[in-house]
Amino acid sequence: MADAVCAGFAGKTSPRTWSRALLLTLPIALWSLFMAMRGLLQPDRSLQVASGVTAAFMIVLFFMMMKTSSTYRWRRWFFVALGVLFPIEFIHNVMVLRGSMGIPIEEMIAGRTPFCFLPIPLLILPAALTRTLVFPGSILPRGGMSGGGMAAMAGLWLAVTLVVGKGWCSYACFFGGIEEGMAALPKKAKWKKLDPRYRLLPWAVLLAMVLLSLALFEPAYCMWLCPFKAVSEYVAARNTVGLVQNGIFVVLFAALVIVLPLLTKKRTQCTFLCPFGAFQSIFNKTSVFDIKIDRTVCSPCVLCQKSCPTMSLSDESIKKGETLMSCMKCGACVDACPKGAAVWHIRGTQVAVKPERARLMFLYAAWAMAAMFGGSIITQGLATILQRVI
Amino acid sequence: MKWPSSKLGYTAAGMTVVAAMLVPFLLMGLFAKGFTKLGLHVDEMYSGGPTARTIQADGYTITIHKAVYPHLLQTEKPFVQLDWKPVNALPQHVSDAVDVDGDGQPDVRVSFDVPKDPKMPLRVDVDALKPRYQAMRKVGRQKFSELIVRVDDTILVRVPLIER
Repeated sequence: MADAVCAGFAGKTSPRTWSRALLLTLPIALWSLFMAMRGLLQPDRSLQVASGVTAAFMIVLFFMMMKTSSTYRWRRWFFVALGVLFPIEFIHNVMVLRGSMGIPIEEMIAGRTPFCFLPIPLLILPAALTRTLVFPGSILPRGGMSGGGMAAMAGLWLAVTLVVGKGWCSYACFFGGIEEGMAALPKKAKWKKLDPRYRLLPWAVLLAMVLLSLALFEPAYCMWLCPFKAVSEYVAARNTVGLVQNGIFVVLFAALVIVLPLLTKKRTQCTFLCPFGAFQSIFNKTSVFDIKIDRTVCSPCVLCQKSCPTMSLSDESIKKGETLMSCMKCGACVDACPKGAAVWHIRGTQVAVKPERARLMFLYAAWAMAAMFGGSIITQGLATILQRVI
Repeated sequence: MKWPSSKLGYTAAGMTVVAAMLVPFLLMGLFAKGFTKLGLHVDEMYSGGPTARTIQADGYTITIHKAVYPHLLQTEKPFVQLDWKPVNALPQHVSDAVDVDGDGQPDVRVSFDVPKDPKMPLRVDVDALKPRYQAMRKVGRQKFSELIVRVDDTILVRVPLIER
């Protein structure tokens, strides 16, 4: 593995040659093409084109990661595409199937509410105590509105979490891309001073929503706080309470997914609200990959701290040479560190010894997941657009 | 001291990469199957509860579900769900006296029109023939515990119960 040392800085690697970058991209290229095969073999022309474009997109991005040794900016292209194309495909689907983004009560009774991963932590306590899933969906893997039953999503989530842990939030979440795209737009943050205590908010939301879900026997976050209802679906308002709920979704979406990321250059919904992200942080403890700060070369310039989109680095954590539990392994800090002190790391190994090997192993696992899951969503979104345009 | 832990770390990382390759072919399906075998069920406030018995009517059936009671702070009332099926065998106006608890005596009279257009909103009248059941007038689909809705080939009516 390439561990070329650049300008005397331990963890910073120099750009690779084209041939070496191509060679390292080959496994992911084969994987991406294999994942695209299902679409390429379909008779639908737009799906064929979308599958080919997606595979090429994933391969080129991975190649650029290999060529430049930079992770974050290339991953961001994938993530923003995922975040933008998911709502397009999803809204198109629900409009075709039911003519509205609002879920009518009969669809809930029929168990046809599509299940996303966000309510997973809210379902655990009621399920453990009463064997009841407090979600109006279908348990069967092929149940639900578009074949996405709870078992399918739970299976996918468990499998991906086993592989990338909290990396889910950087390589699999189909919501975070919108705010990441928004955060990328301004050159500089207008609001730079953010109280570090705010990063505890998702834990508070998680605790409150878990308890509320148990008490009310409903997925409380989905009913009251999920900003992404504004770009997916919501309970069709049957009364004033329903109107208030839908109003909250729109306000939270506008504030946390559009306005605040523009002002702060942070993923503010993920940092300040998302209970699933907080829950997923627990799996940072089980993941073999993490990011470390090599204290021997770190001159605390805090560029890593400034670049982190989820405030997952604090002064204390930098002193300890590690990220906070909420780190989603996006690689922003590694790319930002001018001295190569922020490095990819495999638990059990020495910090800053072969960090590029750690990065490669993580990226192979994470990008395989991204191509499989995110890639299929990007393909569907593109195909939806192509069907409309062509 | 460092060598074994380093080797373990790389082994685990390698296994993670292998696991990533197995996700679409094995792990995802395995975990999904495991999930279905946990014996979990969707909250009866949504699903309507298990079937108690079925009454054969004139060309159609009325399925009576077991009563559903709200959990802890759930804001709905207890209810019993009755299903009329199939819709195309129902008369234009249904008015059935239904023996819900199976004691041989009718408990409620349920009346509703069956529009030909499945997208037309439904309204139900329920006369309570026993004090356990709550009467309803021109109710649509405001609450999970008192409603009439059409789901595919079935018309569901949920009759609220007065007390537990």
